[in-house]
Amino acid sequence: MRERLAFNGTRLDEALMTLVDQQTLDEGLIVSTCNRVEIVASSPSGAERGIERLTGFLCEFHDLPPGALLPHLYRHSHTDAVKHMFRVASSLDSMVIGESQILGQVKEAYQQAVQAGTIGRILSQLMHRTLNVAKRVRTETGISQSPVSISSVAVELARKIFGDLVDKTVLLVGAGEMGEQAARNLMEAGTSKLIVTNRTADRAQAIAREFGGGAVNFEAFYDVLPSADIVICSTGSPGYVITPNETGRALRSRRKGPVLFIDISVPRNIDPLVSNVDNCFLFDIDDLDSVVKTNLKERQREAQAAETIIESEVHHFIKQLRSLDIGPSVLEVKELLSQMAVAEFRRNRKRMGALSPEQESAIQDVLIPALVNKLSHPVIVHLRTAARNGESTEVLDELRKMVRID
Amino acid sequence: MDGLWIIVLVGYALCVVQSIIALTAKRPVMPRLALASLIVAFLAHTIWLTVRGVREGRAPLVGTEEMFAFLSWGLVVSTLIAYRWYKARALQAFILPIVLGLAMVAAIAPSPQGQPLGIDNPLQRLLFPIHAGLILLAYSAFFVAFGAGLMYIIQERELKLKKFRTIFYRLPSLDTCDSISVKSLTIGFILLTLGIAAGIGWQRTRDGQYWHGDPVEIFSYFTWFIYLLLIQSRMNAGWRGRTAALASIVSFMIVIFSLVGVRYLGTLHPFG
Repeated sequence: MRERLAFNGTRLDEALMTLVDQQTLDEGLIVSTCNRVEIVASSPSGAERGIERLTGFLCEFHDLPPGALLPHLYRHSHTDAVKHMFRVASSLDSMVIGESQILGQVKEAYQQAVQAGTIGRILSQLMHRTLNVAKRVRTETGISQSPVSISSVAVELARKIFGDLVDKTVLLVGAGEMGEQAARNLMEAGTSKLIVTNRTADRAQAIAREFGGGAVNFEAFYDVLPSADIVICSTGSPGYVITPNETGRALRSRRKGPVLFIDISVPRNIDPLVSNVDNCFLFDIDDLDSVVKTNLKERQREAQAAETIIESEVHHFIKQLRSLDIGPSVLEVKELLSQMAVAEFRRNRKRMGALSPEQESAIQDVLIPALVNKLSHPVIVHLRTAARNGESTEVLDELRKMVRID
Repeated sequence: MDGLWIIVLVGYALCVVQSIIALTAKRPVMPRLALASLIVAFLAHTIWLTVRGVREGRAPLVGTEEMFAFLSWGLVVSTLIAYRWYKARALQAFILPIVLGLAMVAAIAPSPQGQPLGIDNPLQRLLFPIHAGLILLAYSAFFVAFGAGLMYIIQERELKLKKFRTIFYRLPSLDTCDSISVKSLTIGFILLTLGIAAGIGWQRTRDGQYWHGDPVEIFSYFTWFIYLLLIQSRMNAGWRGRTAALASIVSFMIVIFSLVGVRYLGTLHPFG
């Protein structure tokens, strides 16, 4: 179902335009990735009708029968919607908590909506705050600190040993699927050279060609060992392929610091005792897996802290949004007072006798606005306080009665 | 000691607490405070040394108080340089406690009384600060090598035990620790060599003798020889990683001894 709902690049603009009809919905934004479709919109005619319109839009746009979608959707409005947006961008709602892609995707969605012109006062406030919250969560919690996949753990370990991977050489022993994947990740992380060795030379050469590396004979493996910084082993061999004695002997000529061995074969192909050889670090698949598990648990714990941050940010944002609400009313009050003052001035103009043009304009442009500001100030302060406490509607009603706007 | 030195002590103490928290806690508390207090303390420290030098009309390198004040100052300079080159923030947590310790010794040591011997003529006035200053700066470079060695050993242990705690993610890579170590050893060795040479020249102007059999002399040459050996084996024997890290820690112990222990053996050096 999710695939059918996705909005891909070219149709996104069109979708945004259709979505925002300026009646039920006046602002909109669509985040569409491989595992989520989120539509965020602001509706001047209330949450109920807005959501109705959103559901209708989804069905129409994707040619689905009305109602077919309902069981697959989740809907949030008001505070919940804000909270949801914050959680999504902070990667608390992701399959892998703390992954970093989603923030970029949200940013991109926002930019696209800005370009399509479907972002207004409310969504722009919301999105700015969202991006800030996501950044805050990232820097103030350890939610995306440690790696959570086998190959990213391998890369992290390599970084912790070698720092910069730029001039490092990877030796791939065996041509298994997992080994190739790990080598690919390391090459993407910046290692400069790959040497492949395999029992069947053809396969080794094929991989070497793909990465622009070299292939060597399986028998000559210990000869190239000293030039390798990272050794990845994944052969189908039932026993140990790399042993401590041979390794120690081979590395005696090496003068380039530590070597990282990664054994991703089952059963193991590197004797665990290699770990005792000076300057050698050995990790097998179980080690990497347990690091992944610990880090995942760690992220869960950090997610708690992130939720607290989000709670308080939501609270702040709602407050801010409410004081935004009274913006028009403030103008209204001032406008009204100023009209009254000007009318009174005109009515009593004759009683004032002769006035020079300077005096007359001073009254109109200086005295009246100053009076209006002075008089409306306590009213505006009162309105703002009321707005922060969520009582702005009542106070506005009172105010309207008092100055007889209606 | 005076009010200015209190600022120095408080600033470094704050920075010690902060950098240790930053190294071990999941979320550092007020990370900017560390840098701010370090800068304030370092400025106060620099002013203190300048004021002392101007007031006495000589380099502030006489007696335990000034020596430790200058050494700790040099150590902060080295840490800041190492930070600038390697962005290894963790180093602070290993060096700042030493800085604080040295600054505390300086705080309780008495100020030197009267004019020390051997800085009477212009040549001596020039050679003495070069000798003492360079050697103390060399020592601060060795302190940094020590800190880098410690970081290496801890990081290596985390890797071998495969239990990664927060500190594992905070420490720089083994390679960075090693580079910091090599670079500070080399710089330290060059400074030490120049400092000893200046010292020989200075002694010569005092009494025409090159050698006095003084314990400080003996240990200085010994230290020099140890570091020569250390650098040589790194360069030629490909002596790297754990052993090299351990060696720079042991060599540092020797420096500490020649700095603190030797003074009780009776010496003609104006330690105060």
